[in-house]
Order: sequence, then C-alpha cells, then structure tokens
Amino acid sequence: MLGGFSVGKTSLVKRYVESVFSETYLTTVGVKIDKKTVALGDRPVSLILWDLAGEDDLASLRLSYLRGAAGYVLVADGTRPATLEIALSIRKRVEADYGALPFAMLINKYDLQDQWAVSDKEFEELRRDGWWVQPSSARTGEGVEDAFTDLAQRVTR
Amino acid sequence: MANLPAAVVGRLQALALAGRAIAWLRIDDTLALAEAGGDLEAYGLAAVQPGAAASEQAPFLEGLLPLVETPWEMPSVEVSKGRVADLHFWAGDGGPSDGSTGDGDTWVLLLEVTPERNAAQRMQQKAYDMTLAQEREAVLNRRLEEANAALQAAQAELERWNRTLEERVATQLEEIGRISRLKRFLAPALAELIVSSGDESILQSHRRDIAALFCDLRGFTAFSETAEPEEVLELLHNYHATLVPLIQSFEGTLDRFAGDGLMVFFNDPLPCPNPAERAVRLAVGMREAMARLFDDWQRRGHAIGFGVGIAQGFATLGQIGFENRFDYSAIGTVVNTAARLSDIAADGEILVTSRVAGAVSAFTELVDVGLLTIKGLSRPIAVSSVVGLTKVHPVRAALGR
Repeated sequence: MLGGFSVGKTSLVKRYVESVFSETYLTTVGVKIDKKTVALGDRPVSLILWDLAGEDDLASLRLSYLRGAAGYVLVADGTRPATLEIALSIRKRVEADYGALPFAMLINKYDLQDQWAVSDKEFEELRRDGWWVQPSSARTGEGVEDAFTDLAQRVTR
Repeated sequence: MANLPAAVVGRLQALALAGRAIAWLRIDDTLALAEAGGDLEAYGLAAVQPGAAASEQAPFLEGLLPLVETPWEMPSVEVSKGRVADLHFWAGDGGPSDGSTGDGDTWVLLLEVTPERNAAQRMQQKAYDMTLAQEREAVLNRRLEEANAALQAAQAELERWNRTLEERVATQLEEIGRISRLKRFLAPALAELIVSSGDESILQSHRRDIAALFCDLRGFTAFSETAEPEEVLELLHNYHATLVPLIQSFEGTLDRFAGDGLMVFFNDPLPCPNPAERAVRLAVGMREAMARLFDDWQRRGHAIGFGVGIAQGFATLGQIGFENRFDYSAIGTVVNTAARLSDIAADGEILVTSRVAGAVSAFTELVDVGLLTIKGLSRPIAVSSVVGLTKVHPVRAALGR
C-alpha cells in the first residue's frame, strides 16, 4: 500500500481484511503486515499486504520495503488533490527501482462528496494509459474489494 | 568489544535487551526453516516447524528470500498485532546450532522496537494532525476567499443593475413628462410618436401653412349668469368630453382651451396633406355632436348654441411660455381670422375663408356669405358657410359628373 499520509491506506486494508472502519486516524510508522486468503476461481491465494507508512516527502520513502513485492496499491485522497500528485510521483519512483509492477490506483474517501476534488476528466486521463483507477471509500467499502481482487488476479496470472 | 571486560559486555547486553522480545530463525538454502528460537510466541511464530517452507510459516518472509544483499535490515515491521520488530537478515555465519556447516543458510533476527515505534508514532501523529489541520484551514480560507469574491462580484453586478435601473427610471420619467406635456396639445398617439422618435425639434419656433379652427358656444355668457354653477360646470364638462376625443380622432392639435372657446389647427406639428378638409370634417362632426348634446339643454330652456370659424394660411408656431408652464401655440393672421369668423358665426354655423372653401368645395355644400369686414384685417374677405358634406366622390365632383 503506497501513497501520501492520511489518504486511508491502513483503513483500506482494515476494510478489506477485517471488514471494519474506524473514524480515528492513527498514523502508521514503518510497516504493518496483514494476510488475507482469497479464492481466485477455485484456487486459494494468500495475499500478504504490506501497509507502508505514508510519506509526502519522497526522499524519506523506504522503497526497500517493496523488495519481493508482486504488485502494489497506489492510494490518493480524493478530497486533497495534492495527494494525487504524490501518488503519481511514488509510482514513478517504484517503476524506476523495480520496473513495471502491476498496480491498482484508488482515489479514496469517495464518501466525502461535498469535499470531493477529482473530476471525471482526471479519472479518464489516468485511465488513458491502461491504468486500473477507481474511486473508493474505506468507510462504505465501495471499490475496495474490486481493487484487491483485480490486482490479485493480475499478479497471479 | 575486545577491550571491554566480559562483565561490562554482559551488562550492556542485559540493558539493551531488557524487556524486548527477541526471536530468531535460520533458513536453509532450500528456503525451508532449519531452526528457530527466542520469544517466537511474541511474534505469533510459536507453531513454526523445522523442515517446512519458511515463508508459509512466517508470512513476512514472502518474496524476501533468497537474500539479495547481506547483511540487510528491515526496520519497524509490525509482524503481529501491536508487536513491532526490526528484522535483521544475514547470510549464514556464526555456525548453525544444530551442528551443520551453515553454508547457504539465512539468519533472521527479530529485535523488538515496539516502544521506539510507539514513541515515533506519537510524534508523527502530532505532526500529521497539525499538517492536516493546516491543510483544512487553507481549504477553508480558499473557499472563504472564493465565496467572498463571488459575493463582491454579485454586489458589483447588483450595483451595476441598480445604476442601470436608476438610469432607465430617470429616462422613463423624463419620457412620461415629455409625453404628458405633449399630450396637452397633441393626440396621445402623436405625442408618444414624437417622444419615441426622440426628435422634439419640431416644437421649436417655425412658420407653416395651417388650417386653424375656432369654436365656442353661443349664449354661454347668458347661461352662466342664470344657471347654477354646478350646471355650468356640468355643461362645460360634457362639452369638453365630447369635443376632445373628436379632435384627437382627426389628429388635430389642440391649442387653446379656455372656458367655452377652443382652438384647433392642422398640419402642425405633424404635417398632413389636407389640413382644410380635416378642419371642415372635424367642424361638421362637432356641429352634429353639439346638436345632440344641446338638445337636452334647450329643452330645459337654455338657449345654447355652437359656432365655428375656419381659416387657412401661414402662422408662426412653437412652444410659448417657460419651464413647466408652456403651451404649443400658433400666432398669425390666420388665427385671428378663424377666431373672428367663430365670433361672427351664428348657432350651428361653420364659417370658412375662401381658401378653405376652395379646398373642400368638391365634397362640401357651401353657401356664399359674401364679403365680411374682419377686425384686424385692412380689407373685407370672402366668407362661405358650410351646409354639410356631400356624398359625392371628390374626383367625380371635380370632373363635374
């Protein structure tokens, strides 16, 4: 899970693994590891989810955590446009260090419609290069399951 | 450590490791778990079994083995709920505890850093909370500025509309004023036409050939003396209410309006092709309307009559008077002549000058009255009396058929 701070990476994992959501923001230091076994068709697949500390300062981003990663989820906060830029910069760095890994991009906090700041046009532009990009909400669960399932299918292909 | 006594080294180790969960794993070159030890339970690894694949028993190892570099550290990893460790990896040195050579083995040390992670988390939390608060404040400020700008724009627009509205009201008031002034002597439709065209130069002093019509009541002075004032006012009201719409329907310019006397002229300020004809037709219409009106009064014993004089010629026309108190009027011999003819006319008589008679003879039955001496004129003038309008078409009449 990669993205700026407070975009909802830990909440997305919690929603996906435990089906819960907490309103309290608790920052992540280092990395948290979670595991979820899913059935892809009739095949059980264990996903080991590394929830990395959010970093706005790319120089502080420890990309060594990505060693051995099969893919990643890039997360931005749809109410804070600056986090979209951060996510895009992180993706560039990851690609420079580890090559073109499969990834899914979630523009999170879609439930906060009155503060939503990402236009449909921006989504279209992001998808133009064949990216998997969806709005999501860790609070409601919208878009969460889809993102992890799609990514799991792509990394196990 | 060579220059430190064993007791000091031991003490240092005790201090560094106090209260920390320490566990270790040794993984062989087939990536199977060779052995494990320490506080495995603290990291949820109590059930690990030598011989089985290491990454299946310790999920955090997934993708990390075999090592790419050694030694290698992965700091601050929350391996199990609330238990954080720095993970240290290195290739097999130091010898295996099971007596094998250890070549190709990988050692993994889990050194607990939960207190350090929690301390760092508290500091980071405060910093991020503050940053988020600043971001929210910036967003709110921006929205406030946008709302303020929108409000100012709306206010400016409103002010602009107000100015426009004031200008339009002033323009319309001015127009209404001009129309009401013009309506005093022009038919309402003509007054509005002049105002909407915006050209009032026609009201400036000028000379023009006009047909002037004078009319007044016969026996009005005697009636005023004998009748009640209310009756006099009623008569005048009915008189004016009958004549004014008639004058407007013929598009005549109503000039004087004093008591029982009225002066109307044609061909000014708006030109018309046949001023004498219009004046005569209006006079005939007036006479018929007055006959109906006076019938009732005459039955009540009042000898009320109506006479008209019409002349045609050049006059000087324009606005006379001063601000808020002016009339549009005609001055000249033609006016005096019409007024005198009206004075001379008997009840029901319409007296016209020879020029007027000539202009309307084709469709008007006229009786020659002869030469009359008019006060103000040096020589007598030929005067005719209008009997009535004939039904004959003017062209046929001119051709004598």
